Amino acid sequence: MSNNNLLGRRNFIKGMGAAAGVAMAAPALAISEKADGVKWDQQVEVLIIGSGFAGLAAAIEATRKGAKDVHIYEKMSYFGGNSAINGGLFAAPDTPMQKTEGVKDSVDTMVADQLAAGRGIADEALLRHVAEHAVEALQMTLDAGSEYHPYLQQLGGHSVARTYQTTVSCGAGITQPLLQECRKLGVHTHNRAKFEGFLVGDKGEVVGVKMRQNYHFGEDQPGEVINIRAKRGVIMATGGFAQNVNLRMAQDPTLTAEVGCTNAPGATGEGMYEMFRLGAIPVHLAHIQSGPWASPDEGGFGYVSNYSIYNFPHSVAIDRLTGKRFMNEIADRKTRADAELNCRDAQGNALPPILITSYKDSKKHPNTKKVIKYNVGWKFDSVEALAKHFDVPLAPLKAQIAEYNEYVKAQNDPQFGKNMTEAKDKYIEAPFTVVRLWPKVHYCQGGVQINTNAEVKDSFTGQAIPGLYAAGEVCGGIHGVSRLGSCSIPECMVMGMTAARSMMKA
Amino acid sequence: MINLKAVLALTFGCFLSLSAQAVEIRDHHKEVIGKDCKTCHDNGIKQFPSDQACLQCHDVDDLAEQTARSEEDKWQNPHDNLHYGKELPCQECHSEHDTKKPLCSNCHTFKYDKHKE
Ligand SMILES: Cc1cc2nc3c(=O)[nH]c(=O)nc-3n(C[C@H](O)[C@H](O)[C@H](O)COP(=O)(O)OP(=O)(O)OC[C@H]3O[C@@H](n4cnc5c(N)ncnc54)[C@H](O)[C@@H]3O)c2cc1C
Repeated sequence: MSNNNLLGRRNFIKGMGAAAGVAMAAPALAISEKADGVKWDQQVEVLIIGSGFAGLAAAIEATRKGAKDVHIYEKMSYFGGNSAINGGLFAAPDTPMQKTEGVKDSVDTMVADQLAAGRGIADEALLRHVAEHAVEALQMTLDAGSEYHPYLQQLGGHSVARTYQTTVSCGAGITQPLLQECRKLGVHTHNRAKFEGFLVGDKGEVVGVKMRQNYHFGEDQPGEVINIRAKRGVIMATGGFAQNVNLRMAQDPTLTAEVGCTNAPGATGEGMYEMFRLGAIPVHLAHIQSGPWASPDEGGFGYVSNYSIYNFPHSVAIDRLTGKRFMNEIADRKTRADAELNCRDAQGNALPPILITSYKDSKKHPNTKKVIKYNVGWKFDSVEALAKHFDVPLAPLKAQIAEYNEYVKAQNDPQFGKNMTEAKDKYIEAPFTVVRLWPKVHYCQGGVQINTNAEVKDSFTGQAIPGLYAAGEVCGGIHGVSRLGSCSIPECMVMGMTAARSMMKA
Repeated sequence: MINLKAVLALTFGCFLSLSAQAVEIRDHHKEVIGKDCKTCHDNGIKQFPSDQACLQCHDVDDLAEQTARSEEDKWQNPHDNLHYGKELPCQECHSEHDTKKPLCSNCHTFKYDKHKE
């Protein structure tokens, strides 16, 4: 992507005429400035940057708390960011559906599960704040018209089933209703509007932003920068930086352009870096998570990811070289992604492992049909056919499946310690469906540090930077080493709502 | 679906034949628009057309109807899709003077036979 590759960009500018060069270089030079004497082109009450879960929830909540003039700015031509392509999986404790299904859960249990995945460096206060308000966020989506499957799922690393999923199995089942709700409430939504820097008052408070209008992502067109004053302050909801190969490699050199990515193109991180320039505290930037349920046979998140997230509890993941299992299929993400990356042929080349599921169980997920139809997954009538297709040694595979079925019966997995509750009575039997697995860069745990008021903390004073709030994936440190699946939606929405509440109180 | 505004633009518009020379224009557009770049380039000749430019002549509801798919695949309708509804600006997938991949291909293997890549 040309606008992320600074070196490429500089060379390109060098090759152009001087006049064009100035226009092109402007975005790279724009940084936060003193607001003294700037000419304000516009003034708004609540200024939100980014149109994903965090930004949309913030806009709705600000309006409900009395704001009259709320504006969302989005640099892409379309609204929704990662949230619009997300899997639609939403975790919350003590939900109505848990009551119907007889699942015992609590804020404490959800926080404990997340702390375990965070491996000692997660932010307990923030996790607790999010878990305590997750049901409110779920309710906001229901009020706006989101619909959910009538069953709960138990995702990797969660000790109980606590995850709702939209009926369309996608975050758009939430962003579309929230966006409509915003419009109904009179929230102003601006596309092709790229945030480029803060305008700062005498006391270091954020008083406004520089906004590039008529911005065309990935294209060479200057557009126009205007200064917008934000009367109550600015909420940064600009998401993660998984699509910015330079920045992610600065944190983890193994995450080269060859590693796939599930994120929307706009996840490039400049909003976060602008906050660092202002003094925000960077936390956990090097913890970048790869999704262990992705497929090398399609781009992005595609269809396989949700298919395998649903099916992992009652499936076996097989190393094609040995014909044997190589991981607990519902361990947390990092454990599984690392295990998958170890699946290599005798020469050390990547040999994506396979996930084998009984068709009788997989077909309950709406994606199964699509996975087969779009040639990113396959159906087989026998182990022999399956083994032949993927070149897996037959005898060990057969033995492994027989062994695993004993674990299903005994409700105990001595091989990898998998929790077999969700696998009860789900034996691995023909016909099978099979997908290939390979991790893709998926989520940035790192970002700016915030407190439980969604205020951004200053690295020198430890105090909140006045007028600046952040919510969603742009924030860091909440989840620690590994974020559990379905825990971002509640976080983004709760912190978006929290930012709006704090701002309206300030 | 040719509306009056575009036809008027064709008749009275100022003809910028110089800049129009180098660029390709699809034949069906040439018939309606001729060489009046401003018909589409409503933000100025050196700028991309606005997101509303194509909608002067094309109606998104009609387009959605034309590209509708069966119930099972209904959300793959590029003009009324799961992620963005009917709101995706035309320029995300279409380019008049160039070729472009549909946005869906970032993540999906859907086929759009009539789309000019
Ligand atoms: C494919 C996929 C599936 C996922 N599935 C799940 C799931 O099922 N459950 C779950 O809990 N989590 C899931 N996640 C994680 C979750 O979706 C994200 O963490 C979440 O959507 C982030 O929301 P956000 O509001 O912080 O940012 P986003 O939704 O990414 O929105 C940020 C927006 O800000 C815009 N922006 C960025 N910079 C600027 C700028 N300079 N100026 C203006 N606008 C800017 C971006 O274009 C973007 O639209 C998934 C993630 C992906 C990628």
